[in-house]
Formats: sequence, structure tokens, C-alpha cells
Amino acid sequence: MAAVRCVDLCKTYRQGDQDIKALDHVSIEIESGGFVCLSAPSGGGKTTLLNAIGGLDIPDSGEVWVAGQRIDQMSKGQLADLRLANIGFVFQAYNLIPVLTARENVEFVMQVQGVPAAERRGKAVAILDEVGLRGLEDRRPAEMSGGQQQRVAVARAIVSKPALVLADEPTANLDSKTSDGLMELFTELNEHHNTTFVIATHDQRVMAFARRVVHMLDGRIVDDVEQNAA
Amino acid sequence: MRMLPVLFRLAWRYLWRNHRRTLIMVGAITVGAWAMIFMTSLTRGMVDQMVRDGISVLPGHVQVHNPAYLDDPSIANRLPYTDAELRQMFTDDEFRAWASRVRVPAVVSSERESRGVTLLGIDPEPERGFSFVDYDAVEGRFLDGPDDSGIVIGKELADTLETGVGKRIVLMSQDPDNEIADRGFRIVGLFTANMPNFEKSYVFIGKHTAQKMLRMGDTTTEAVFLGDDYRNVEPTWERVSAAVDGGVVVSRWYEIDTYLGAMLKVMDGFVLVWVVVIFLALSFGLVNTLVMAVFERIREIGLMLALGMKPSSILGQIVIESMLLLLVGLTIGNLLAWATVVPLEGGIDISVVAKGMEMFGAGSVLYPKLYLGDVILADVVVLILGFLASLSPAWRASRYEPVEAITKVE
Amino acid sequence: MNIIFRLAWRNIWRHPRRTWLTAGAMVFSNVLLVFMISLQVGMYGMMIDNTLQVLSGHMQVQAPGYNDEQKMRQIVPDVVPLADKLRRELQISTVAARAWAFGLVSSEERTYGVGVFGVEPDFEPEVSTIPGLVKSGRYLSDSGASEVVLGAVLARNLRVEVGDELTLLGSGRDGSFAAAVLTVVGIFESGITDIDRNFAEIPLAFFQDTFYMDGAGHQIVVNGASLDDAKLLEPRVEALLPADEDLVILDWDALQPGLKQMIQADMSSAFFMYFILVILVAFSVLNTQLMSVLERTHEFGVVLALGLRASRLGRLVLLETTMMGLLGLVLGVLFGALVTYWVSINGFAYPGMAEMSAMFNLPSRMYPRVTLLSLSLGPSVVFLFTLFAAVYPAIRLRRLHPVEAMRAN
Repeated sequence: MAAVRCVDLCKTYRQGDQDIKALDHVSIEIESGGFVCLSAPSGGGKTTLLNAIGGLDIPDSGEVWVAGQRIDQMSKGQLADLRLANIGFVFQAYNLIPVLTARENVEFVMQVQGVPAAERRGKAVAILDEVGLRGLEDRRPAEMSGGQQQRVAVARAIVSKPALVLADEPTANLDSKTSDGLMELFTELNEHHNTTFVIATHDQRVMAFARRVVHMLDGRIVDDVEQNAA
Repeated sequence: MRMLPVLFRLAWRYLWRNHRRTLIMVGAITVGAWAMIFMTSLTRGMVDQMVRDGISVLPGHVQVHNPAYLDDPSIANRLPYTDAELRQMFTDDEFRAWASRVRVPAVVSSERESRGVTLLGIDPEPERGFSFVDYDAVEGRFLDGPDDSGIVIGKELADTLETGVGKRIVLMSQDPDNEIADRGFRIVGLFTANMPNFEKSYVFIGKHTAQKMLRMGDTTTEAVFLGDDYRNVEPTWERVSAAVDGGVVVSRWYEIDTYLGAMLKVMDGFVLVWVVVIFLALSFGLVNTLVMAVFERIREIGLMLALGMKPSSILGQIVIESMLLLLVGLTIGNLLAWATVVPLEGGIDISVVAKGMEMFGAGSVLYPKLYLGDVILADVVVLILGFLASLSPAWRASRYEPVEAITKVE
Repeated sequence: MNIIFRLAWRNIWRHPRRTWLTAGAMVFSNVLLVFMISLQVGMYGMMIDNTLQVLSGHMQVQAPGYNDEQKMRQIVPDVVPLADKLRRELQISTVAARAWAFGLVSSEERTYGVGVFGVEPDFEPEVSTIPGLVKSGRYLSDSGASEVVLGAVLARNLRVEVGDELTLLGSGRDGSFAAAVLTVVGIFESGITDIDRNFAEIPLAFFQDTFYMDGAGHQIVVNGASLDDAKLLEPRVEALLPADEDLVILDWDALQPGLKQMIQADMSSAFFMYFILVILVAFSVLNTQLMSVLERTHEFGVVLALGLRASRLGRLVLLETTMMGLLGLVLGVLFGALVTYWVSINGFAYPGMAEMSAMFNLPSRMYPRVTLLSLSLGPSVVFLFTLFAAVYPAIRLRRLHPVEAMRAN
């Protein structure tokens, strides 16, 4: 079963006195365990598509299916539950709550999900270890580098084993070495846990890691390339 | 200095950039300003009324007595002047009003009851300026002259004595030789007063009638004088003192009624304290607002400094912002206060606590009075304190280093 | 430990100065409120006690209508035996019988019309402070003697001293002529002109003889150990009154109607002012919390994206406000208690107070008392309104859309 299925999505924004077609009849299917990059120049529609898949932004028309459920007609509350249980997010910046430590940031989501305290702690420490941040659990975001912050965000995204991880330009603020490190982490997690990754980016280095790159331009999919066959 | 127009424009625009915050602060200042002025008007109105009631109970602004009278207000201690002499010493156009009267303790008896009262032998015309009695509102009629042979008593007293207009009562007092002096009177009028106590304690007869009954010739027990302003009786006092010789004591009203005098002082202090308290409560919010506003703009301040603006201009801008905020709030607050007080100046009926107000010495209707002086005081105090409060955040804002400010993050 | 609690607490301290300023507003108001209310409660209590203790007492037994009209013929029959009975049955000594008449009192040089009270010399000191205020001479001792005590101003006006004689003239109960010659045995001085000028006291039995009362009187004063205690006594007194007589019991409110109203008037104006203070604090809190919410818009967007419901965020803000409110509450109560306690030792006076206090039977220096009520009333209301103030910012959060939110800042 496909992790994600979008059928004929359309979304238009008004900016000033112009209408911008962010999504122009976009259809796409992403299989479970996939590692896909959405590539487009800035404003090409990749973020909008990502948001639609993540249930953050409802398209004007079309269908969105995630993990077998149709989400474009869900209520806000249902969408919130969906995101909580099934989807992990990593944004470009400002991912973390500044007043919580790394471990607490990870635990935060689990507490909302209702995971009991003892279990939470253990899981948080374990996942931080997995992303290579052992020893940094009690640091606050301000005390960590950009790369480390992103890793915490990743840890939080995957701690409850979501079906899908959506990342919006996750390496935009990182230097090339750190950027590579992050992408290697993604790859590892994708292989280990079979989590589906959908990454929006316009960075060539990032695209090199993906097994499938979907090129978009002006809200349309213009190319869909398989690469790096495992 | 030539920066001022720019600073004003900047300050004004920055205020409205975060309009929610500014509106909330303006709202708070408005409430504070309104409360200050409203409460002050109420208090002033009450005290004004009390003083007028108090003073109109005879003391006038300045009084002249035999030195022993104040301790022992009886006929033995009457004025050492005759009315003719008094008329020589004082002319009518020197004062807003003046009069001489006979005031002694007496006993009034009807068929059924007797009561102790204070007898007032007056000449009704000059006494209009002093009286707590509204001559025209008297049931029956008031005295028509100093030779009137009738008596006017209070409604409460009439009830207690179980008598009324047209009936006879007997008035009894002492003459200068300690002999009993008594006489029958027909009640020609019943008066009502703001203070029920007055209705029970005072009775009016004609001055000449009193002088005859008490066998005191052309003398009286006191002379009272009314000036223009109960708050400043010095001119009146000096004029009166200049005209008399050493055989009498000239008193200002608050020397005799110490309660009212103290009340006036206390109320003045109270107004100031109330204004300061309100301002202090507001000041926390004000400083907070300014601090937050500065914090949000650190980068822009850094930019301005980097471009060459002087730190003093930054300070000026913040201070101006604070003043503008206060001015807007004060203006609205003042207008609101004016709009709420003026309609109520006709009187607020608080007769539900009438007896309580009586104990304070106040009437059962509250007349708030908006005094320009009070309004200005409140506004000036707030502006000055506001200015002082804004100095700290403004000072800190002006101390930023441009580079540090530009790169400052969360 | 609960992350949400930790989060709320740390959120408050992101901008320590802002939080301290907001809490400062609360503390300022609370200190003021605790102090003022302590002062007022103490003052009102004293006003009532002091005024009642002079003459009126906590309650009186009278004939119906007497309180308003004070006619000689509105009597309490067999007043002394009835007072005795009340003392016996209630097992208290704070019961005293009285009679009152208007009369002319003459010394050698002067005559004045005053009220004359006939009192029980043995029991009057239990219900009135006047006997204790005798400054020269002594109080009345024998119920049948031809003695009199009077106020200092009256004595001065009459030009009499202890040992001088006074003539009393009046109307008896049946309307007939009443006269007596009295010896001044004592002069009392309360400092309040009205009291010192307007009446005199003579022994009850002598009064009853002089005014042909035939064993009757006009009032029986009954005092409890305290005002509250008196309330409990009332029904018991009622039960002991003779069934065939038409007697009524008047409580202090009926005896001194102005007192309660004056307190009410004063309280109303005070509460108006307190209310304004509370409102201003609420504005402060509203401002702070609104700003705190708005500046975290982006962060909230992220959290919503993670799957948190908007209502949960609202609750977070309320939690933060509660914590801040509690901070203001606790510190406010603490400082308020300290300030009030300090003043309760050293006293409190302002210029002009002495003259005004005399009017209301109050001492010229006040000592507020810290009570549970005064400590809790003001601060609780402030806390409540603080919570109200947080409602608007919390509601705004519900409308937050993750995507838009993250576009902010």
C-alpha cells in the first residue's frame, strides 16, 4: 500500500494583486519506505505539496491519502491527531522549544501522546543516542550548534515511529559537512526503520541522497526520476 | 532639537505598529484617568456640600464673638457692641453678606413635650446668604422681618412636640440677670433641612423680638460674615479684624468647626494619594510596555545607531512614545470622566444610606463636582510620573552598541 | 515530572523583567489591599464597639414607638424587676435599666434644658463607658440618693463643680410637675462635645420618685460579650419578656441606624477604588500574556504541526498565567502581612485624622489587625481577575493555523 497518494491537487494563493498557482493538478504516489525528494526552485510548490501531505494545509481541490486514510476532508482535530500519531516533521529552522532541553523536547511530544513518564525518558535518551547526540540530552537549543539542533528535531520526529517523515529544507541553514551528516542520518533511519521520507529541497547535495527525485516547476510536476537503486 | 518632528513621527508610528498592545495600554490609562477624576469629583462634591452645609449652619466664613462666648454660649457673653455700632463698623458692600444675631440656648414647650433647642433671633433678609433654610420652601411662611412675632421651627421638632403651623408654643431662656425670660409664640412656619439634626435643634424668631424677650436692648451675641471663597477667608478675616477693637475675638470658620477643617485637609491629601496610587498601579504596565517595545526593536535601534543617530535621540524617541501613550489615554479618560460626571452633577440619590451620611455630616444627595484644578492636577501628576518611569527603559535603549544590537537574536 | 508544568514555568521566565513587572503590579495591589482592608475592618469594628459602648449598648428592651418618639408615657413597666430577671436567667451582669426625661437643670447662674437619665448605679458601669469617664468626683452610688453626674461641657456651661447643687424641673409621667434638688457628685468627660454637653445621669429610684414613674422605666440595655454573642442572646431575651406586655427588642442597627449606613457608604466608596486597582492589574496581565503569546507564534505553529491541539496551547497559556498569578498572590500576601503587622505595632495616623476620628469615637491612632479575611479577600479577587485576563490571549490561540503561524516572525 502506498504511504502517500495525492490525486489531482490544486491550490491557489493570492499575493498582493496576483494569483499564484502553488499546486496545479498535481498527482503523486509514494510507496511505503520510500526516500523521495521534492525539488523545485524557491516557491515552486514543494512546500505547499509537503504541507498538503502533512495535513497542515488543505488543498482547494483533489484528494490526499496518507497511510490509507483520506485526509483532505478531516476536521482540524482529526488532522492534529493524525499528525501526532503518524507524521513527523523537520523544518528548516526554529524546530525546537527554546526553553526545553533536548531530551525534554523529545519527551514533549510523547507526553502529548500519553506515553507514561518512565517509558518516555528511556525512549528519549535512546533516540537521542541513535541520532548521535549522546551526552547532550540536557542542553538547551541555544547551547547547541545548528546541526545538533536539527538532529534533535529529527529525534523528536521519529521517536514514536511515525509512518512518514516530512522535512522542509532541513539543511538550508547548515554547512556542507553537517548537511551531509544529517542526510546520512536520514538514510540510516530510512533503511533501519523503513520510515517513508519526503524531503522538500532545492539543494543538489541533498537530492543526491534520495532514491527518487520529483522535480516541480510553477506548481506542476515536470520530472520524476529514480536513482540510487539500492 | 531639529530631530524632534522626526522623533515624534517615529514614536507615533511605532506606537501603532503593535496596535493591540498600545490599545490595551491606552485602555488601562483611560480607566485609571477616569477613576481618578470621577472619584475626585465625587469626593469634592461631597466635601463642598458638607462645608457649605456646615458653614451655612451659621458659622459663615468669619465670626465675631465675645471671647467667653465660645466656651459658654449664653446671653451673659454677648457682644460688647450694639447693632447700631455694628452698622457703623461694617457696610453691606464690603462682604458678600453679613449679619448679627442672637443665639442662645433655650427650651421650647408645647402642650405635650419640651425640648432643649438653640434659639436664633435673626433679621431674615441679610441672613438669606447664611441660612440652611430655603425660605421659599417653608411650610407656612418664614419670618418676614426682625420684628415678626411668630416662630419658625423644624419639621422634626414639630413632630416631636406634636404641634404644627398655627399652634402656640412657649419659648424659655435666661436674661442677662439670670432671670427666666419666657414668651408664647405662634408657629408661622415649619422648615426642612438637609440635616435632620438641624430641624430638631434650631428655632427662628425675629431679632428685635428676641432682644425684647431677653431684655438685651440693641445687643446681639454674634456677628457673622460671608466672603467669596470658603477656602480663602483671609481677606474677610482681615477686614473684620481691622474694624473691631480688642474686646472681641474674630474666628475663621475652621477654627470653630475643627472637624470640617480637618476633613477639608484630609480630602485634599486623599485626592493626591489616590492619583499616585492609580499611577503606580499603571506604571508597572507602562514600563513593561516600553521595555517590550524596545526589545522588539533592538535590531532597528542598532541600525539607526549604525546610521549615525545619536543615543540621545533614541532616548528621546522612547520618552516621547511614553508621553504620547499617556496623552492619548489621559485625553480619552478625561473626556469620559467629563461625560459621566456632568450628567450626575444634578445629584446622585444616596438616601438609602442617608442616616449614615448624616453621621459624616453629609446630606443624602451626592453632587459630584468637576473642578478644573483637580483634572489638571491628575493629568500633570500622571505625565510627570510617566516621564520619570519611561527614563529607565529609554536609557537602556540608548545604551546599545550598534553591532551588538543588530546581531542580537532570541 | 510533568513537562507541561515545567514548560509553563520556564515560559514565564523567558523575560524575567516582564514577569517581575507584572507580578510587581499584583504585589503592589495586594499589599495595598491587605493593608487597607485590615485597617477598615479594624476601624469599623472599633467604630461600632465604641459608639455602642457609650450609651446604646448591643440591644435594648423598649415600648414600641419609644425609639422614635421618646414620650414619657411609652414605658417598660416594672423595669427594675424585669432587669433583675434578665440578669438571673441569662446569667450575665451586663443588663441595666434606665428611664429618661427632658428637664430644665438650673445652677445658681444658668439654666439649661437637657436630657436626664435615671440609671442603676450598680449596673450602669457594665453597659456604658460613661461611669468610667468620671474625671472629678465619683459616679452615682445609691439608687435612692439625690445625686447627679453630668458632662464636663454642661458643668462648665452651668458653672458648677462637684459639691454644687442643681435644681431639676420637668414633667412627670402623668404630666404633672416634677422637681428635685440634686447634688453634683461627679463630672464625666468623654472628649466628645455632644456627649459632654447634652445629658446628666441620676439614680433610677430617685428618678422614678421624682417623675412619678410608678416603678416603670423606658429602656433596658442588654450587652453580650461581643456583638456576635449579642445576636445569640436576642431570642433568649425575647423569650423572657412578659407575654402580656407589648415590649420590643431593638438591636444596635435600630438604635444607631446611621452607624451601619455610614459603614456601608464608606465601604462602597472603598470597594469602588479597590475594584479599579484590580482592573488595572488585570490590564497589565492581559498585556503581558498577549505579548507573550504573540511573540511565540512561530513556535506555537511548530507545536501545532507536531499534532498538539490548539486547545492544549490555550491551556498552557492559562497555566502560565496561573503560575504568575500565584507568584503575585503569595508575595503580595506575604508583604501585605508584613506591612500590616508592622503598622499594627507602630500605629497609623495621617494629618487631620485626630479631629475626624473624634467624631466617630475612634482613637487618633489606628492599629490595623491582620485577619484571615483581610489577607485573603483582596489578593483572591486580584488572582481571579488575573485569570480572566488570560482568557482573551488563550482564545486567540484557538484560531492559530500552523502554516500561517510559522510564516510569522
